[in-house]
Amino acid sequence: MASTMTRIEAKPARRAAGSSASASKARIPIYQTLLIAGILIVWEVLVRTGVAPVYLYGQPSGILQKLVALTASGELFTHAGATAFEAILGFVVGTTLGSVTGLALWLSETVARVLRPIIVAINGVPKIALAPLVVVWFGVDIGAKVAIAASLTFIVALISVYQGTQEVDPDLVKLMRSLGARRLTIWRKVIVPGASPWILATMRLNIGFAMIGAVVGEYISAKVGLGYFIYNAGALYDLNSVFVGIFCLMVMALVLDFLLVKVEARFKW
Amino acid sequence: MVKIRKEVVLEARDVSMTFNQGTEREVNVFRGINFELHAGEILAIIGPSGCGKSTLFNIIAGLLAPTAGAVHVGGEVVDGARGHVGYMLQKDLLLPWRTVMENVTLGLEVRGTDPALAKERAAGLIRSYGLAGFEEAKPSSLSGGMRQRVAFMRTLALDPKVILLDEPFSALDFQTRLVLQGDVKRIIRDRNKSAILVTHDIGEAIAMADRVLVLSHRPSTVKSIYPIDLGVEGDDPIALRRSSKFNEHFDVIWSDLDIQVSATA
Repeated sequence: MASTMTRIEAKPARRAAGSSASASKARIPIYQTLLIAGILIVWEVLVRTGVAPVYLYGQPSGILQKLVALTASGELFTHAGATAFEAILGFVVGTTLGSVTGLALWLSETVARVLRPIIVAINGVPKIALAPLVVVWFGVDIGAKVAIAASLTFIVALISVYQGTQEVDPDLVKLMRSLGARRLTIWRKVIVPGASPWILATMRLNIGFAMIGAVVGEYISAKVGLGYFIYNAGALYDLNSVFVGIFCLMVMALVLDFLLVKVEARFKW
Repeated sequence: MVKIRKEVVLEARDVSMTFNQGTEREVNVFRGINFELHAGEILAIIGPSGCGKSTLFNIIAGLLAPTAGAVHVGGEVVDGARGHVGYMLQKDLLLPWRTVMENVTLGLEVRGTDPALAKERAAGLIRSYGLAGFEEAKPSSLSGGMRQRVAFMRTLALDPKVILLDEPFSALDFQTRLVLQGDVKRIIRDRNKSAILVTHDIGEAIAMADRVLVLSHRPSTVKSIYPIDLGVEGDDPIALRRSSKFNEHFDVIWSDLDIQVSATA
């Protein structure tokens, strides 16, 4: 009863404080638009007046034209589709295997201790250094890009989900033990659900890593994909196309992140 | 109160505990602890901080093996965690992704009880002890007192012989603490359970327990055991505290605890 009353009393005060905060919050998109527009205008002016050469910096109006042309021809969708496919497939494979392994490592402290230095070493290797191996094992087709994306996301998921299992309150484990629960039961009922916020956090990180993996794979060798498109355009000093490709990657990252936030919201407790 | 024959449900015999034995970090927590818990009794254990009260509980629950001696529950030596005791801690330890109902049935689930039966038993507890209507609520939407109530029901659902209460009220505000002390005492009495309560709070020990066991400084031994008689029937925490005998008990136990209040502490 007491808590209901304080809650009711607290409400108007909170709303009053919130309204001025939300008013300034509403202006944030305006500021963001102004900032971006300002940068684009300065950029365009610098190129038009000849201060910055277009073959080194590109040009906003030129980028827009390229974007429209590449969209109309459908070329951009072919590249974006290939990259998205590789990234998502690599993400799903790597994150799933990594999360499951990270969770499973909780079951045996011995195995976890044995593997720890190996995991740290693998994590420390820049994945681009594995490119020759990946090409030998998976060829230069889509498999190689998926493999790079999967290996990147696997190790990130493994490390952070294992960390998540270690963060579960030890008293919860103690409680389960006092109830007579076996290790596997504790794992199923407490560790896996308890570490699930880390799985979701890892997923958001890994979307970025999966895209890095796919694009890096395309840089190495490819016939299609945004990485290939950007790399090629750069080699030809077609900076406007490079920016179109980068812009496209940004949009893709935002869309995928947005979808994950939606997923995350459904799992909140 | 008619107690003709005191049946012993739990017995500690010469229990000693030393951590890191044989190393330079050796800590002798307690030695030669002896006591009995009778059926239907609430025994409070108090002692200076660091006297190993929680360690003693871990031994009783079978989570730790003592260096020497043994704990017997229902005549059998405790040699591992078997769910023979119900454990309630300062933290409610409710699983946040489970509803109230699912939290109460947790222990039964672990034990492999038929889900329908488990649910029925949990529903009975929830209804009897004032949480009807909250069966499907998540712990995050409950107050601290309600959460601790759910934790207590989770303990009761297993119908343990002995209930271990490890400072279960210390995280609650004073009013909620008093109410919960009264409720828990009443429920333990109604269901004819035996319980051991570990607490720092002398008042809580006197108000809830039939006997208060005082531990000494480390390495702890049983210093004394005081039977509590307040001359007041019932479990109303305020009435119990108003009893003239309450303060007498308090003073005796306080001086026995030998807590040094000094500037250097």
